[in-house]
Amino acid sequence: MSSTSKGFLPAIPALVLLGVFFLYPVIRMLGFSIETGNLDWYAKALGEGLYLQVFWNTFQIAVFVTFFCLLLGYPLGFLIATTTPFWATMGFIFVLLPLWTSVLVRTYAWMVLLGRNGVFNRMLIDAGIVADPLPLLHNLTGVLIGMVHVLLPYMVLPVYGAVKRLDPSIVAAAQGLGASSWRIFWRIYLPLTLNGIFAGSVIVFVLSLGFYITPALLGGGRVMMIAVLIEQQVRETLNWQFAAALSAVLLGFTLAVYALAQRAMRPEAAR
Amino acid sequence: MDRKYITRRETMALLGSAAAVGMASGPAFGQAEPPKPASIVVNHSGGSMGTAMRKAFFATYEKKYGIRVVETSPADFGKLRAMVDAKNVEWDITEIGGQDAIRATKLDLIEKIDEKIVDRSKYPEKARSPSVFASSVYTTIIGYRTDVFKGGTHPKSWADWWDVKKFPGARSMRNHPTDNLEFALIADGVPKDKVYPIDFDRAFKKLDQIKPHVTVWWSTGQQPAQLLLDKEVVLATGWNGRFYDIIKKGAPVEIEWNEGALKQGSFVIPKGAKNPYWANKMLHEMSVPQQQAIYASELGYPGLNLESLNFVDAKVKPYLPTLYVEKQFWIDDAWYAENGAKAQELWNAWMLKKA
Repeated sequence: MSSTSKGFLPAIPALVLLGVFFLYPVIRMLGFSIETGNLDWYAKALGEGLYLQVFWNTFQIAVFVTFFCLLLGYPLGFLIATTTPFWATMGFIFVLLPLWTSVLVRTYAWMVLLGRNGVFNRMLIDAGIVADPLPLLHNLTGVLIGMVHVLLPYMVLPVYGAVKRLDPSIVAAAQGLGASSWRIFWRIYLPLTLNGIFAGSVIVFVLSLGFYITPALLGGGRVMMIAVLIEQQVRETLNWQFAAALSAVLLGFTLAVYALAQRAMRPEAAR
Repeated sequence: MDRKYITRRETMALLGSAAAVGMASGPAFGQAEPPKPASIVVNHSGGSMGTAMRKAFFATYEKKYGIRVVETSPADFGKLRAMVDAKNVEWDITEIGGQDAIRATKLDLIEKIDEKIVDRSKYPEKARSPSVFASSVYTTIIGYRTDVFKGGTHPKSWADWWDVKKFPGARSMRNHPTDNLEFALIADGVPKDKVYPIDFDRAFKKLDQIKPHVTVWWSTGQQPAQLLLDKEVVLATGWNGRFYDIIKKGAPVEIEWNEGALKQGSFVIPKGAKNPYWANKMLHEMSVPQQQAIYASELGYPGLNLESLNFVDAKVKPYLPTLYVEKQFWIDDAWYAENGAKAQELWNAWMLKKA
């Protein structure tokens, strides 16, 4: 605890910045939602089937995306952390480069790749693997591919960090004692990189909840996420009170998920 | 409906007989000019529209007045309201959707147009709203692949569009209630001048029939053109200018104008804009027929200055929606200003429904 209080002073500028540019707007926004003096907008957000359904869709998609990011991101982060410096650099370039490209551009690129007459389907058909083009675009599959691609770096980086922090002498000791690679992974790497997995999963999950462009374009309009509805209320309907209520529900939901994950991760702290 | 606001049907009927209108006195100039700012900000939809606006209006404006035109995008009603509320208006002019213009007028978010500066004497009388500048006309119509529907075998009405046996193939429609509700009613037999007020039940019931055949519900204007190009679909509803663009470039795509949904592009000066005088000067630039003709040739969106068609190339004219006004109908912005939120909610619920 003493280290926390000592470290507090230098953090003040950052805290002020967060307070002014993050906390204040969020509180203002929450204020909008109860401007009418009652909770009617919350009743609408939570009481009408349409919005509950879309919240549920959003949650499901976020879970899927987190799962696939973990499935792909963990091995990748692990590999980059343990390979030779040259390949680590190459790995980083491939992971980070897409981060600097606009999401919109990447989304359109997926449309070119995944379409009925797109590059993938052409290749599969020409190779005789499938007779009819696979439905990869304008459905949930397309949305998941696009979102996983955008969010993968957020999983890879924390995993990479966790693996890098791991004391190699532990691994050496295990090897010296004759543990199999599988056992080393299971008993050493995995438990000691759980922090990275946790951090990556939370970031990916939370970012997924707010996704907007990718589902709209790659989902063919069928995949509806809550951010799309909030945006409609803000820009088209100009019903900022309802938009604020929807955002507040999403925010509350996100914090709840975060708290639950925290608890699950640190059983000793929960006790 | 308040007659002071944008008006459409009469406007276009008048456009048809351009020669009938046309004599009006020139505007009075000569007041003292406020100091020139280094730049003004014009906010619009972006994309090829920005390119065309630069070519048709901004370039001459910059040359004439030595004021740089800074472009931002997209048109965003929420942002307009936020700017005016916060009394920090970045835009000198902004594009605005038809129904939004009506609501913006009611919410007192926009300035009156200075008639002394902006010469709309050659505009149809009904297109001279006190605070909304009618910039162009566009329409949502059918685009089709000419290699699939050869020799005029394409759908020529919304009833045809719904007839998936006679006109098979994947379709794309906009992910939005506007246009689609109207198309559904017309396909169901409602005369195109009797679609408002919209019968939601009837419209959605008809839409149920087409839903399984629509593979993509598009959300950005460029999508339908791209979907036709990639042959992702063989039929798409879309804005005429987007199809015109790919047709110009040689795509095997054509337009069916019948029963299209006409709309008016609008620009306004936000309340509290920093350079209202120079913003009005820009609107004036956008009302000059020669400039409007350049814009129409670039994008396929004709302006409302009745003389502008005289300056358009004969090759371009068939792609301008103003030629087909009789076959089409006007989207009722006033109806949407009242019922837009409800329509959107019903639309979302309908989209979520498992087909």
